[in-house]
Amino acid sequence: MKTDDALHKELLSAWEETYKKGQLTLWIFLSLKEGPKYVSGLQESIERFSKGTIHAEEQSLYRTLRKYYHLKMVDFSAGKGHKGPDRKYYHLTPLGASLLQSFVERNIQLFFEEPLKELLLNDSITAKK
Amino acid sequence: MKIVSRNLLIFALLLFIYTILFRFGLGELLTAEKWAWVIIISVVYGAMIFFTAWTTGKRDGINNFLFDAGFRWNLTTFIVWGAASEGWFLLGLHSAHETIRVVHITLLIWSGFLILHLILFLILRRRTIKGIHKTNIFE
Repeated sequence: MKTDDALHKELLSAWEETYKKGQLTLWIFLSLKEGPKYVSGLQESIERFSKGTIHAEEQSLYRTLRKYYHLKMVDFSAGKGHKGPDRKYYHLTPLGASLLQSFVERNIQLFFEEPLKELLLNDSITAKK
Repeated sequence: MKIVSRNLLIFALLLFIYTILFRFGLGELLTAEKWAWVIIISVVYGAMIFFTAWTTGKRDGINNFLFDAGFRWNLTTFIVWGAASEGWFLLGLHSAHETIRVVHITLLIWSGFLILHLILFLILRRRTIKGIHKTNIFE
């Protein structure tokens, strides 16, 4: 039998694994909302914003950005590289920005409103043994 | 997103080589009347096409997001196999046991399946946005 602590850890990890699927877009868009970024910079800000809970592989980011570029959600401009060739600095297009705005209004903002806000911030959870 | 991608061209080239080798082997075995071997190389030829299509198609999907329900691979197989087989007969490289009629009947039946595949692709295309399947856009 697993101890409560071990079970908690295992369940949390499984929940987070499922929860993170589909999260990359939001983190990319939020990072780009902060300002134009090249891929490594984007990777760093995603880790910083998510406090290390989200790690995106560089290859995966390139692939995703190419898709978003094709769908006109992001665009890029060439900028000076750090002692190297020019880099692509990605930014949100008006379509990408309005998409993020709508997504946040419909899916994120409700967490900042009562009663969800109260439930999320209140750590005295009532649990029956 | 490319319709004629590098992986599709690699597949077409390998398919062409397999078909020439198959045609050559088939002609030799038919002439020698080794019927069991005819079945064996036919199965091996089919399996090699399937495996090559599977791997190149999968690799193509990693960087090329174009959704086509496998139609480009089916069409390429049809064109390459048809051209190689027709060419084989036109150059007179076939054995006495082979007739071009078999190639024509195969292409005729195949074109029917190709049309069905195209219809399926056109139906499934409704689930895409600018050629990318909706479920593959957001990660």
